[in-house]
Amino acid sequence: MGDSSASYIHLVHHLIEKCLLFHMTKEECMEALSKHAKIDPVITSTVWKELEKENKEFFEAYSLRREERMSEMETRERILKLLSESAGEDTDNKRK
Amino acid sequence: MLSVSPLTGPKDEVHEKESEKPPFSAVGVDDFSFDDIDFDDLFVGIDDGDVLPDLEVDSEMFAELSAAGSDVNLSSCSSVEREDKDEKREEGDRREEKREGSVSRSEESPVTKTNSASSDSNIGRKPATAQTKGLSQGKRKVKVDWTPELHRRFVQAVEQLGVDKAVPSRILELMGIDCLTRHNIASHLQKYRSHRKHLLAREAEAVNWTQRRHVYGGSGGGGKRNMAPWIPPTIGFPPPTPLHPFRPLHVWGHPTVDHSLIHVWPKHLVHSPSPPPPPPPTWVPPPPPPPPPADPSYWHPPHQRGSKDGWVPNILTQGTPCFPQPLTTMKFSAPLVPGIPPHALYKPDNSIAIPSPHMDSHLQFDSHPSKETVDAAVGDVLAKPWQPLPLGLKPPSMDSVLVELQRQGVPKVPSFCA
Repeated sequence: MGDSSASYIHLVHHLIEKCLLFHMTKEECMEALSKHAKIDPVITSTVWKELEKENKEFFEAYSLRREERMSEMETRERILKLLSESAGEDTDNKRK
Repeated sequence: MLSVSPLTGPKDEVHEKESEKPPFSAVGVDDFSFDDIDFDDLFVGIDDGDVLPDLEVDSEMFAELSAAGSDVNLSSCSSVEREDKDEKREEGDRREEKREGSVSRSEESPVTKTNSASSDSNIGRKPATAQTKGLSQGKRKVKVDWTPELHRRFVQAVEQLGVDKAVPSRILELMGIDCLTRHNIASHLQKYRSHRKHLLAREAEAVNWTQRRHVYGGSGGGGKRNMAPWIPPTIGFPPPTPLHPFRPLHVWGHPTVDHSLIHVWPKHLVHSPSPPPPPPPTWVPPPPPPPPPADPSYWHPPHQRGSKDGWVPNILTQGTPCFPQPLTTMKFSAPLVPGIPPHALYKPDNSIAIPSPHMDSHLQFDSHPSKETVDAAVGDVLAKPWQPLPLGLKPPSMDSVLVELQRQGVPKVPSFCA
């Protein structure tokens, strides 16, 4: 049983890493894994926390970057909206 | 094992400070060299903070042995020495040593204070102080649980002092936590610095990489289109990295991430009708010249199709504005930058191209990845659990996870709940 637990946890670990590639938050990850892989959010959350403990610096940088990205995304989307509103065919309408 | 002999002689001075000496006290000074000693074994049973006679012994031994510079963090001995001069000297040395990169806990013990000839007396005194801290230090590595909260305080303290100038003793003071020894802080600091360097280096690399993607995007992506026979299906991407800003993280893990991602692509590619491939080579070459303008379909943003969110960013990668022509064919899928997970989350509203090269990487990310992409990624993992971890993070300790789960009320972990 220890074995299957270990491999299960490894699986969850793997899935979490995939979610990290998407820059998801812990909550988003819990939801996604529960929905797509039927993994109990409690387990996801626990493994996430443990991973965070083991890889502190990574997670710190991750959350910092996420914040940056979020704000960048917002900016970008706003710009996109503007561009699309202006018909979008203007190739000169490049965002620098 | 080393023969343990009670401290005597020169150690007396040390002992006067010490109220207790563990029976097994340190090994005889002359019997071994620190390198041979695994202090953990010796002290494995000793978890109390106040059992540190070893420390003294070690200090003594260090002083006597004046071991060749082992690049170990100064053990608690150093932490103990609050003496001004010693402290400064130690910290300076410690910092240097840390920079050399050895953080191994086991090295803590045989700290050699080679640098301080006069440290003997200080060393003697130090253990006393160290012990009063309540945590065993020195050789014994008391496991410090660096919780996020603790770490946050640590980082705050470090930031306050300045990462490079942060000295464990100061950090300790700023944190104001009794249970930490300078040594704990020192080793944690070393790890922290080393990781920071890595992260920064990788981020810089990621930026470079995203810029290079322009170049590779065309050449690599082309291979994916089934309709483009001339396009070699090889993925000649630049360093395989599923994510751009996260490219650095990727380094921690396995280099083969892209493979799994790549597998996904064909799915997307298959279902689009393949218009005769325009001369993709035109945009294959590194400086992707404007994609064959003659073939607007190429650049039609894939968002038309909806599912290929990821493709769009690639087009942008090319640096060419997205041709809004609502051509349905998604030939341009080909130019997708291979490194980008097909489920790139960018969802352009329209045919709006954001040519900024710098944006490429960011385009990849969406605040909310699409369900399909997440599902695809999850499915991939479930189907192929043997694949290497995309990020290669250190796995959590099994025990701690299980304990935590028990706490949360999850009696046992299902074997496979996919």
